[in-house]
Amino acid sequence: MLERVLAAEFLKLRRSKITWISWLAFSIMPLATGLFVWIVKEPGRAAQLGLLGQKASLTGVTADWPGYFKLLNQAACAGSMVLLAIIVAYIFGREYSDGTAKNMLTLPVGRHWFAIAKLIVAIVWFGALLASIIAEGFLVGTWLGLPGLTFTLAAAATGRILFAGLIGYLLVPMVAWMATLGRGYLPPIGFTIFMLLMGNILGATGWGKWFPWAIVPMLAGMAGPRVEVLAPGSLAVVGITFFAGVALTIWQLRFGDNTQ
Amino acid sequence: MPAETIIATHRLAKHYGEVRAVDGIDFTVRRGEIYGFLGRNGAGKTTTIRMLLGLVRPSAGDVTMLGTRIRPGQQSVFARVGCLVETATDYPNLTVRENLNIQCKLTRTPYPAVDRAIALLHLHEYAKRPAGQLSLGNKQRLSLARALLHDPEVLVLDEPANALDPAGIVEIRDLLRHLADKRGVTIFMSSHILTEVAHLADRIGIVHEGRLIEELDYDELRAKARQYVEVVVSQPERAIALLQQQLGITRIEQTVEQRLRMFDGLDRVAEIARALVNDGLELTGLCAREEDLEDYFMRMTGGAA
Repeated sequence: MLERVLAAEFLKLRRSKITWISWLAFSIMPLATGLFVWIVKEPGRAAQLGLLGQKASLTGVTADWPGYFKLLNQAACAGSMVLLAIIVAYIFGREYSDGTAKNMLTLPVGRHWFAIAKLIVAIVWFGALLASIIAEGFLVGTWLGLPGLTFTLAAAATGRILFAGLIGYLLVPMVAWMATLGRGYLPPIGFTIFMLLMGNILGATGWGKWFPWAIVPMLAGMAGPRVEVLAPGSLAVVGITFFAGVALTIWQLRFGDNTQ
Repeated sequence: MPAETIIATHRLAKHYGEVRAVDGIDFTVRRGEIYGFLGRNGAGKTTTIRMLLGLVRPSAGDVTMLGTRIRPGQQSVFARVGCLVETATDYPNLTVRENLNIQCKLTRTPYPAVDRAIALLHLHEYAKRPAGQLSLGNKQRLSLARALLHDPEVLVLDEPANALDPAGIVEIRDLLRHLADKRGVTIFMSSHILTEVAHLADRIGIVHEGRLIEELDYDELRAKARQYVEVVVSQPERAIALLQQQLGITRIEQTVEQRLRMFDGLDRVAEIARALVNDGLELTGLCAREEDLEDYFMRMTGGAA
């Protein structure tokens, strides 16, 4: 049955505007990162460009591949946490906002299959977005003629973005649960914003490794010093969050009142 | 031999805190029967329908459909049930055909059923149009097509005639009657269009404040419906006093404006007319009638009439 539900879910995704809007939003990241690197590449350009030039200088980015990747990684991590939440909020929440949840839940299909299929659709789409920005990142960096690209550096940067993306993905079942519990888009998006704020606070106070929403910013160096390797405790916290989110989403679909 | 029971509820209840949305409802629907479920807004119709379909968990009691007790996660029974709950909703970015294809896929129905459903509900010219761009009436048709697509044995329909034009209402009425009579489909439907229910339903349940207060078939309705004489007269208050004093008619109700209903004196129509006219009142209408479902419903649920 999973393949039938997946086919239906992919058709819904293909036909929705948010699919292409999320791709457009994501594809801006390498361009914006490239713009900052281009600004700091020529001495004096930052001063000529006023506020934008000042902003580029403040990022501390260097005009080489390591600096470019570092900034791209931060942008991808920050963007993916928010964008992933929006994608998942949409995939689950639209069933309530469009009033189709009641149709979905009265089909001869186990309700858990919908939760699983939607989470698979989310990771496939998110994976495609990540692959797209990595490829675009290489194109932009090459076009800028940055020095210092080695295979090891490229592999490490790609791996870092993908790993942070994977860790970010493991948090989204909780977002899915909030969408089913709150029956729409807004509760999961509000939940994500709140958790990201908490992540920043806890990351800055040294508790970040125990708080799932602080771990991705820590990997990107956005909440305290950049963490190179996640502690086993952090991995366990993220793993528990994932399984708890999946279980709660299925429980909500199966046992919760759907009074949409 | 009595027909097989297809839907049965037993002391079905749903409470939201102190609010008793549904308060111990018992009914049965037999195979091939069309059961009309009537009630005012907030009477508990939609909550009952949601419990029939496993969308809401009962606070007490249970629902059995096609011999299966409806429980959370009990989905296999829906291979034999089609439904339309409240408003017609389908995926707005998907075309009519794509919406129906998804239904086919998930109910394991062969794809030719899509063409049949499109033909049955007259959706040919909209087949390639996104559902979000359909008129309300055509959205309703699409939702009905989705409900009928997998040839269900049971249809649970909440306001099936919603948003349809008069011709569409007649068409859907005929379709449902055909399904019940020729294919033995059991239909449980709620509607606020009482004349529709009166035309269509084999049995009617009236729900009020969460309770099933009356259950009757057409013959019982006829037997319980009161006969009355209705007059349309100027100065109705003066007319009431006159009829009471001169003719001894006491069971008189004023319905709207100048309209009076008399439940006594059914054999004294000529006397009533003469008394009103002789007193100088302007009599513009007079006839003997019988309560219809709407009158009966209003009487049972505490409304006018």
